[in-house]
Amino acid sequence: MKWVTREHCHVDRTACAWLIRRSIDPEAEFVFVADPSQLPSDATPFDITGQPFSHHDGASTFEVMVRHHNLAEPGLEALGEIVHEADIEDERYDAPEAPGLDAIIRGMGRLLDDDDLLRLSATLYDGLLAHLAARN
Amino acid sequence: MVTDSSEWVFLLHRLPREPSAPRIALWRAIRRLGALLLADGLVALPASARTIEHVEWLAAGIEEQGGVASVWVARPTAGATTRLLAEQGRASVEDEYRGVMREVEANAELSEVERRRLVRRLRAELRRIGSRDYFHAPGASAARDRVEQLAMAMAETTA
Repeated sequence: MKWVTREHCHVDRTACAWLIRRSIDPEAEFVFVADPSQLPSDATPFDITGQPFSHHDGASTFEVMVRHHNLAEPGLEALGEIVHEADIEDERYDAPEAPGLDAIIRGMGRLLDDDDLLRLSATLYDGLLAHLAARN
Repeated sequence: MVTDSSEWVFLLHRLPREPSAPRIALWRAIRRLGALLLADGLVALPASARTIEHVEWLAAGIEEQGGVASVWVARPTAGATTRLLAEQGRASVEDEYRGVMREVEANAELSEVERRRLVRRLRAELRRIGSRDYFHAPGASAARDRVEQLAMAMAETTA
C-alpha cells in the first residue's frame, strides 16, 4: 500500500512510518508532499491536518494510529507518550526521553532525506521499544 | 532557540465561548509556546519549522472544536515592528528567568533533599522557558548559572 505524508519528517511522522511498516503494512511505500492540499489519490495520508490519521483530541498521529489499529504490546504505550511529548510538548505525560528523541530526529533530519531518515530512524524506534518493553 | 525573526507565523482564530475547556486548553498552548498576543484572536510567533508546525496543529484543533482558524506567515513592512515584537517577547521571557532567580534566592536555607528537588524542578522550568526564548533574553545564562551553582553546592556537600 502507498502512504503519504508531509515532507521533512520529524518525530511523529518517522514514528508513524516505523509503526506502519512494522505493525500495519510491511509492504508500505511512502511518498512525501510539499503541499498537503495536493495529495495523490492512491495513497493513505497520515499526519496531515484534516485527515483521519492526524492529531485528534490533543493526541499525536502516532497515538491515533495505535488506537485505531488496536495495537498493544509491551512498551508501545510508553513509546506513544514519548512521541507525544517530543511532538506536542504539552506535558500531558512525563516522558523524560522526549527532548532527546526530538534532538536526535531533528539532527538526523538535517543530514538525511526523508527516505533515509525513515529507514535509519526505524532502528532507533526498534531500540526504544525494546528498552521500554524490558523496563515494564 | 535561534530564530530568524524577520518572518512571523500568525494564528488567527475564533472559538465558540462555550464549552470553556477548549478555550482554556488553547490559551495554555499559546502561553507554553510563548506566542505574542497581538489582538483578540490573533497571536504571533517567530516563524520556524517548529513554530509553524505547532501553530498548524493548533489551528486544526480549533476547527475540530467548531472554531475558525487560519495560519499565516507574515513579514512586517517596517523593521521597527519586528524589534517591537521581539522586545515584547524578550521582556516576558526575561520575567520568567527573573522568577527562577527569585526562587533560588528565596530558598537559601534548604535541606539536602529539598535542594535536590528544587534543582530538578528549576532545571525543568529553565528548559521550558528556553523553548520559548526566541529572542535571547539576557537573563538566561545568569539563571542557568545560578541553578547549576545550587546543584554544584549540592554535589560538594554530598562528596
